Amino acid sequence: MSYQETNITVSLVSNLLILGFYLMNFFRMYQEVSLEPAKVFRLWGIVIVATIVLNILGNILTNIVLSIIHAIKTKTERNEPFIADERDKLIGLKGTRISYIVFSIGVFLSMLTLVIDQPPLVMFSLLIFFSIFAEIIGDISQLYYYRRGV
Amino acid sequence: MDKLRIRNNIRKLRFQHDEMTQELLAEKVGVTRQTIIAIESAKYSPSLELAFRIALVFNSPLEEVFSYDSPEKPSQ
Repeated sequence: MSYQETNITVSLVSNLLILGFYLMNFFRMYQEVSLEPAKVFRLWGIVIVATIVLNILGNILTNIVLSIIHAIKTKTERNEPFIADERDKLIGLKGTRISYIVFSIGVFLSMLTLVIDQPPLVMFSLLIFFSIFAEIIGDISQLYYYRRGV
Repeated sequence: MDKLRIRNNIRKLRFQHDEMTQELLAEKVGVTRQTIIAIESAKYSPSLELAFRIALVFNSPLEEVFSYDSPEKPSQ
């Protein structure tokens, strides 16, 4: 597995964990006490901060671990240039495009909840869900392109 | 996914050039080894610039490194 693939896999796993955490807490709140704005806002905050922090930490850790593995394998201290070449950039762009399409559909579906008289909290909660879901689909599509060709 | 119509002789040319490794070729043209593997196995069509850089490494004309299978038969 290449450096870029490892990075995407780490991002995918962290996004899946965050989505799982979000859905678990959201449905628990929904069933227990209906949706209390203060609690829902707090959950959004946690999810957004966790997404940013986990992705940055995951990236740094991946770099460190891969550098150590590379040094052990090659028995040199020379750092491997973890470059993103034209293929990596193309796959990244395609992944971003797919994420964007999924998120656009998600925004449309979220707006539909207002049409069927759901509270705005549900709409915003769906927006958060689709933002993470779109990232996951983007990561999966990038891994697909790396494996099957682009 | 459609099979790419661009074929290449990179593997053969590497062999003819003192069995050049994919890693060395990647280093010479400034891409990752994974990209060379993807090009060799026809899973990725390189940009024109990269194709020229690969041809330069082998000191061969572009047509000797890459070829294109046209879906239409050439007119007589």
